[in-house]
Amino acid sequence: MKNYSLSKGIRAMAYSFILGVSLLSSSISANNILDYSTVQQQPSKITGTITDGVGPLPGVTIAVKGKSLTAISDYNGEYLIAANPSDVLVFSFMGFKTVEIRISLQKIVNVELKEDATALQEVKINAGYYSVKESERTGSIARITADDIEKQPVTNVLATMQGRMAGVNITQTTGVPGGGFEIQIRGQNSIRTDGNAPLYIIDGVPYSTQNLGNDIISGSILPAPGISPLNSINPSDIESIEILKDADATSIYGSRGANGVVLLTTKKGKLGKTAFSINTYSGTAKVTRTLDLMNTAQYLSMREKAFANDGIIQYPSWAYDVNGTWDKNRYTDWQKELIGGTAYTRSIDAAISGGNNTTQFIIRASNFNQTTVFPGDFAYGKTALHFNINHISDNDKFNVSLSGNYSADKNNILGTDLTLEASQLAPNAPALYDDKGELNWENSTWKNPLRLLESKYLAKTNTLVAGSTIGYNIAPSLEFKTTLGYTNTHLDESKTVPSTIYNPAYGLDSSISSFYTNKSGQQSWNVEPQLSWHESFGFGTIKTLAGATIQESASESLGLNASGFSSNSLITNSAAAANVQVLNNTNGLYRYSAIFGRINYSLNDKYFLNITGRRDGSSRFGPDNRFANFGAVGAAWLFARENLITEKYSCISFGKLRGSYGSTGSDQIGDYQFMNTYISSGGSYQGIVGLEPARLYNPDFSWETNKKLEMALELGLLKDRIFITTAHYRNKSSNQLVGIPLPGTTGFPSIQSNLNATVENTGWEFELRTVNFQKKEFRWSTSLNFSVAKNKLLAFPNLAGSTYASQYVIGEPLDIHLVYHFTGINPETGIYQFEDYNDDGTLTPLEDRQRKVSTNPDYFGGLNNSLSYKNWQLDFLFQFVKQLGFNYNGSGVVPGAGNNQPVSNLNSWQPGQTNGVQLYTAGFNDEAVNAYYSYYSYSDAAFSDASFIRLKNLSLSYTLPQSWLNVASCRLYLQGQNLFTITRFNGADPENQSFGKLPPLRVMTMGIQLNF
Amino acid sequence: MKNIAKRRIVFLIATVIGLIMFISCESFVDIEIPNSQLTAENVFKDRATAQAALVNNYMKMQSNVLVTGNFNGISNLLGNYADELNYYGIDGQREEAFYKNVVLPTNSTISEIWNNTYNLIYASNAIIEGVTVSTGILPNEKGQLIGEALFLRAYLHFYLVNLFGNIPYVTTTDFRLNSTIVKKAPAELYSLIIEDLENAKLLMPDEYPSDERVRPNKSVAKALLARVNLYTENWGAAEAEANSIINNTSLYEWVDDIDKVFLKDSPGTIWQLIPQFSGNNTFEAQSFIFLTGPPPVSGLNNSLIESFEPEDLRRDHWVGTVSDGLDRWYFANKYKENNNTGSSREYSILFRLEEIYLIRAEARTHLGNISGAQEDLNKIRHRAGLSDTPAVTQPELLQAILKERQVELFTELGHRWFDLKRFGVINEVLQTRKTGWNSTDVLWPLPQSELLLNQNLLPQNPGY
Repeated sequence: MKNYSLSKGIRAMAYSFILGVSLLSSSISANNILDYSTVQQQPSKITGTITDGVGPLPGVTIAVKGKSLTAISDYNGEYLIAANPSDVLVFSFMGFKTVEIRISLQKIVNVELKEDATALQEVKINAGYYSVKESERTGSIARITADDIEKQPVTNVLATMQGRMAGVNITQTTGVPGGGFEIQIRGQNSIRTDGNAPLYIIDGVPYSTQNLGNDIISGSILPAPGISPLNSINPSDIESIEILKDADATSIYGSRGANGVVLLTTKKGKLGKTAFSINTYSGTAKVTRTLDLMNTAQYLSMREKAFANDGIIQYPSWAYDVNGTWDKNRYTDWQKELIGGTAYTRSIDAAISGGNNTTQFIIRASNFNQTTVFPGDFAYGKTALHFNINHISDNDKFNVSLSGNYSADKNNILGTDLTLEASQLAPNAPALYDDKGELNWENSTWKNPLRLLESKYLAKTNTLVAGSTIGYNIAPSLEFKTTLGYTNTHLDESKTVPSTIYNPAYGLDSSISSFYTNKSGQQSWNVEPQLSWHESFGFGTIKTLAGATIQESASESLGLNASGFSSNSLITNSAAAANVQVLNNTNGLYRYSAIFGRINYSLNDKYFLNITGRRDGSSRFGPDNRFANFGAVGAAWLFARENLITEKYSCISFGKLRGSYGSTGSDQIGDYQFMNTYISSGGSYQGIVGLEPARLYNPDFSWETNKKLEMALELGLLKDRIFITTAHYRNKSSNQLVGIPLPGTTGFPSIQSNLNATVENTGWEFELRTVNFQKKEFRWSTSLNFSVAKNKLLAFPNLAGSTYASQYVIGEPLDIHLVYHFTGINPETGIYQFEDYNDDGTLTPLEDRQRKVSTNPDYFGGLNNSLSYKNWQLDFLFQFVKQLGFNYNGSGVVPGAGNNQPVSNLNSWQPGQTNGVQLYTAGFNDEAVNAYYSYYSYSDAAFSDASFIRLKNLSLSYTLPQSWLNVASCRLYLQGQNLFTITRFNGADPENQSFGKLPPLRVMTMGIQLNF
Repeated sequence: MKNIAKRRIVFLIATVIGLIMFISCESFVDIEIPNSQLTAENVFKDRATAQAALVNNYMKMQSNVLVTGNFNGISNLLGNYADELNYYGIDGQREEAFYKNVVLPTNSTISEIWNNTYNLIYASNAIIEGVTVSTGILPNEKGQLIGEALFLRAYLHFYLVNLFGNIPYVTTTDFRLNSTIVKKAPAELYSLIIEDLENAKLLMPDEYPSDERVRPNKSVAKALLARVNLYTENWGAAEAEANSIINNTSLYEWVDDIDKVFLKDSPGTIWQLIPQFSGNNTFEAQSFIFLTGPPPVSGLNNSLIESFEPEDLRRDHWVGTVSDGLDRWYFANKYKENNNTGSSREYSILFRLEEIYLIRAEARTHLGNISGAQEDLNKIRHRAGLSDTPAVTQPELLQAILKERQVELFTELGHRWFDLKRFGVINEVLQTRKTGWNSTDVLWPLPQSELLLNQNLLPQNPGY
């Protein structure tokens, strides 16, 4: 109750904030004198206009050299600052060369700034505990910024990165709003499929992406990995996302760095006059691709043939589709009916930012809403508030910053994804509603798919992420700071299962209706004191950092199942239930502590050496295995700064060779796994609540280690108009922490243990950035990223004798599938045939599943083009993946069965034919059914090309000329996501490759952004 | 001056960092066990918690595992697999593969039954091991807990051997042994089952350990022993165990009213499972009953309906009929309450006196005690409103017993299926009644996932 009102409160607050900013806009546009520097009292006022040679340049910082006084140019490029005649003004702006001008007696100083391509190398990159200049970094860090993020009408931060970063493979698992994404940074390190998540850090605060949902409640609508906690982070609040990939960058995160680190930096307050912005868009979304299914005539001819093949002349009483019970002339496109709707999206966000030399702030509020493509009235909504305050004392010694993100998510959807039924219902299945407008059960001859709309799923998530840094410069070269973080996530989800979802023929009433709820929460805090020191000597510059981490994360959940209601209208009130059962009531505690350090040495701005290390302790291990050490060394050589290059090869504007080697680890195994415990099973018997063994336990497992090696070459040509990065890496994971699968006779499916196996991930990453045109009115730049990632099981002692014998092969990738080899249809019997590897006359899984199929992508990447002409800006991103995927042949529908099938299944066997689909069967031909289910679904025929090229993102915007709106800048835009896909995939969508999960959506929006 | 202050600050900060590091390295990462969990040691320190671990198995059997009345239990599945139920669904429901006798090694219901049953066997073994070494539970309390766990281990293995044929007999919680365990032949399995039951009999009390006969007592172990001896054709032992239960008239009474047999306080009930929620009734009723035709999933097979003699009361009292004017469909109506009734009226019965009489009748027939067998058989028939059995010879009597078992025990825990196998008539009966019947269908396939994880379980059952 408390949380509900809190979330309501935040929503109301956000709305009023947005409204307030909108209202303010009118008064501000009428009164353009909000220039903070007028407040200051200084001897004389200097004004002027800054341009880039084409038009005015807003946002340029104007500083008085040697003083702490600054100003920012407004949207007309104009500025106002107070200075003495002897002062020097410094004009700086990212991407442009800094200009210094002595004032003398001038009162008006107009400046034209020149673009500086090499300035990109000056950008400070966030490396977590420290930041480093792009040109000087020794580690491998990929980055996107708000510029890229704001072009995409998406709700999940992971979606914004798709196709934009080398070595980062992100796939969307479902198109249902609130659903999850899977991310792999440089391949799969852990054999444990759920042990490959990277570490997320938001403004210095570790953010757990553990799904707090209860699979019993959310599983049928939001499949694994479930509710994505990253949905609670509002993409438009993000200033930049950095992904740390190699040992040099990740070792300082020790045990949590094995799968890479994702650093999210939110927007910060900016110096300058108070700025307002409003951004709003709305649009529509539909599923990307559906299956090409049979129509009624095609379907019925298949079915009739199937029964004929089975030798059945008189159709069974239950074959309603062919025996005349259902109208044979009826046709429904169930995909259109059930998942073919249009989802509507709208989003608005508003921000105020500003500040003076010592204090800056930003406050942002946003609201997002999206309906679904399913029938029924369902929607996903998100409201978020973000703020940041920075302060530095007058003497520049003391600084403090505070940021907070609060979001309230509400996902009000149906309980079960309709995609599977949409693809499998017979095309002549009955009408959804009867004459009275009620659900039609057609005398129990079918399960009306809309029964599933009776069951509703509702999830409310409230998330707070707050971080603060307090720093003190003890001496010019010595700084002490402490980072404090707190996160609090609360999830309240529920699902109704009223008696009305069952066929009325069962005669069930509301006394069997059931209501599931789960309330879970997670709170964590962390404290990280750090001391950094840097000094330049004759022999070079040394930067050091030492720090410690303590972190605690507590989680709790309470799941209830209430059943037996006197009326279905009371179903969401557990108090009205005859019986309430506790499904789960758990709590967990995770504690983590570490010390870490960094030493960076540089000589002549050409040679860099970076050493990092960490000692970690984690409560997830038994008392003897708690601590472990990790460390890395990285080096970089900026060879283009050598005289030889600068003198003789001046076309090389930048050149860097870098490399790193080191170790990271992983403790991603869940809490308490080393203990032998019993938990409440949730069920009771004669009033005694049952206890059951929690797991097979192993007290001896310890840290997984991951050794990473990387070499990279970065090359800038022609003033960096062509910039190439090539990286090669080799990561080896050993001492793998896995749930070793066990046969059911042990009572459990697996046991947690270290596996003495080594997995190697190697790969090449290639990035190319070119500025193709750079004229005053027309600019065109292209960036390409391309990744080849290979995965290999290097060693696995006694693999043949282990429970993995049928799953892995040494020298092959982890995602290998050992399957039967499909050799075509038997021309005489019409049944699928497979290779009998050991020639023993029968097909046995262990001996004859010898064909190796890997679904690891061969390569993937993205190609982005960015064009601007006058006030027009066009960006489009193609994402491409070359891979094999799980196709329709493994969907579990036998050719001829009473489920609709793709039109490609019309090519059924004729005597003598060896290709196409096998002879139809209505399920009575044992041999055919067995060939399909036991062999075909587990053969190489169930895998085929799932490569695709997708227009992932398109953004076209037009900025209204300054002359139209004197004070404000206004941008109109069209954006699209997943606009079209080129693929030969035999199935619905090549990205999520699923038959039961909604494909990703194609989103098209239009919007307007105002800044004033 | 300034320098000294600076040094002090540095010193202070260094101390703070040092302290934090000290704390972090030593004890910070020591955590307590959460209050939602209990160490195994503590569970078996106390009788109440040990009991909670034990009854959890019954809860699972009632709601979800193997003998549950739910759709995934053997009453429904073997009903479809044999000739008791007719499948009417069209859209590929769980029952379809069972009804068509095309259950494949990859069938998820098969591996669910296998895994869940072995999970309960693990839990039983954990109780046996935990209670044995416990210091907190009194010796006399130990006997009853271990006895029930031993019984349960035997009971679960009994069904597995009859469903799957050669299987491993698991008697420890050690996963190293259990992950490479080998299969045993039925003869050996039965001797292990009998050994566990004999031990259980010694430990279990005569009285029920709790109200309403929802936890097994010594008679339940005897009832299973009677059944096992019948299945293994130890007629003498089967009769002896049956005698011991039938003669225990202080506990068990014959119910003359056909409508009271399945009520929760029926004195003929030997062991039943209580639903979790007060007022709830059986999953059997929820799974089998339907109000309009055609049935949403399965209805009773016509061959079963035709097996009732014309005046058989069970035909009307235990079978429900639905008609749309043209067609008629039938459902098992032994359990009548499918909704919540405020206070429960019916529990799921696992052993009832009628089966014991039928066991004794069959054993007596084989032992040559024709009149004794007729007497037992007639006891069943009389209550159903039927006259004495006309069977007189041994083969006639066996035939009559098989038929009586069909109409008395239909849709109860796969009795029909096991009987057809035991009597050696399964091929001749099902060949004519089931399209796609194969003689190798007498055993379910071992789950494929299991064979891949433990090669000692090879070979797969014939025909798969």
